[in-house]
Amino acid sequence: MRDRGLGRVDTESGGDEVRKNYLRTRLSILTWPKPKGGPHHAVCHFCDTLHEAEPIPEGSRARCVCCGATLFQNRKASLVRVTSFSMTALLLMVVVHTAPFIHMDAGGMRTFLTLPGAALALINEGTPIVGWGVAMFTIIMPLVLSCGLVYVCGPLMFGRIAPGAMLVTRWMSHTEPWNMIEVFLLGVLVSLLKLGKLAELYFGVGFWAFAILMFCMAAAVAAIDKRELWDRLEVAKDV
Amino acid sequence: MSHLCENSSRAVTHGLAGCHVCEKVTPVAAAYCPRCGSHLHLRKPDSISRTMALVIASAVMYVPANMLPIMSIRELGVLTETTIVEGLISFWESGSYPIAIVIFTASIMIPLLKIFSLLWLCAAAKGLVPHSANILGKVYWMTELLGRWSMVDIFVVAILVTMVQLGNYMRVTPGPGALAFAGVVILTMFAAMSFDPKLLWDQLEREAARGEININSKSE
Repeated sequence: MRDRGLGRVDTESGGDEVRKNYLRTRLSILTWPKPKGGPHHAVCHFCDTLHEAEPIPEGSRARCVCCGATLFQNRKASLVRVTSFSMTALLLMVVVHTAPFIHMDAGGMRTFLTLPGAALALINEGTPIVGWGVAMFTIIMPLVLSCGLVYVCGPLMFGRIAPGAMLVTRWMSHTEPWNMIEVFLLGVLVSLLKLGKLAELYFGVGFWAFAILMFCMAAAVAAIDKRELWDRLEVAKDV
Repeated sequence: MSHLCENSSRAVTHGLAGCHVCEKVTPVAAAYCPRCGSHLHLRKPDSISRTMALVIASAVMYVPANMLPIMSIRELGVLTETTIVEGLISFWESGSYPIAIVIFTASIMIPLLKIFSLLWLCAAAKGLVPHSANILGKVYWMTELLGRWSMVDIFVVAILVTMVQLGNYMRVTPGPGALAFAGVVILTMFAAMSFDPKLLWDQLEREAARGEININSKSE
């Protein structure tokens, strides 16, 4: 059989024979352990083309031979980055919820903004559904996501699997789009520009922690290497 | 079976399905993914019906979201109710052009674009309009990526309601439009999630099999 009818993975750094040999020797160090069995396949999310998923070097991505969409990536130090950024995010959440966030002085009165306060105000002012939505997108989902990432990726760095880690990872992949910290920060900027003309605004430590939290969450999510994470989970489970 | 790319074949012809959650490729006959336990499907179930139902629901909600006030401001006893568009106009008239553009993009342009692009994607997957799967793939990707930013208006209302509580001087309360608008954003997000871009390629393949399009006219 000339060809099994499967597309070959195109690595961006593909090239001449010398480079291929170099990669072959380096790959054992650079890639993650593969689960038993195989050959491993990858299916393009867009066009459903079947590929043989060969290991690719760190920092590169495999593209679909048919439509050019990204099949999978091998991100550098994925687990370490996910764990450290989400641990930082958890610590920052403590600061965001304990330190002063933003307060405003106007007409001899002082009003405070906090994340739970914003959700509570909507709940108390007659739009409870929207209020719970705001609480969900700005407090609960980011907390669940970063706790879950630490719980799954922390032990996995040492080749261990936490109890129920597969279930947690499955849930996390559903919560990811509902984490809207960066959208809330844009909302803060827009409303402060509106209020800035009306009153004096004071930014507390909590606000700056929130701005850093946004970057940490984004960095943690961007460091997730889905394929590596699941392959490692499967390998760790089998051990 | 013909395929749009040479020397490659599609997972569906081998009866293989990539898990939606963990990406493991397994024969679809297994029903559940052996790795993560999720349901296995060749295509997302009832993708077009579900997407259309959610898109229609969000298009219906888009009307009250824009007609009803998103918040009301009581300033020195005078009650002003503002809709999304009125808020946008007041930003523009007060010279805050960057904010006006952000609000316009997030609250008006993105929801409308999402509704129309999802309708277009469904029509294309049904073969009602000619399409290039590559371009529509990008449209889908943008739709999924941008959807959440529409939520910014809801957060602005939440922040203003929290901070502008200055007794008789000035008070802001949320309006019924906020609920409708949040509904639009959430429904369009679910609609984008339930659409399966692989259906676009299935349709292209059917057209290629009928000889309606040239197999080698693939873009790029």
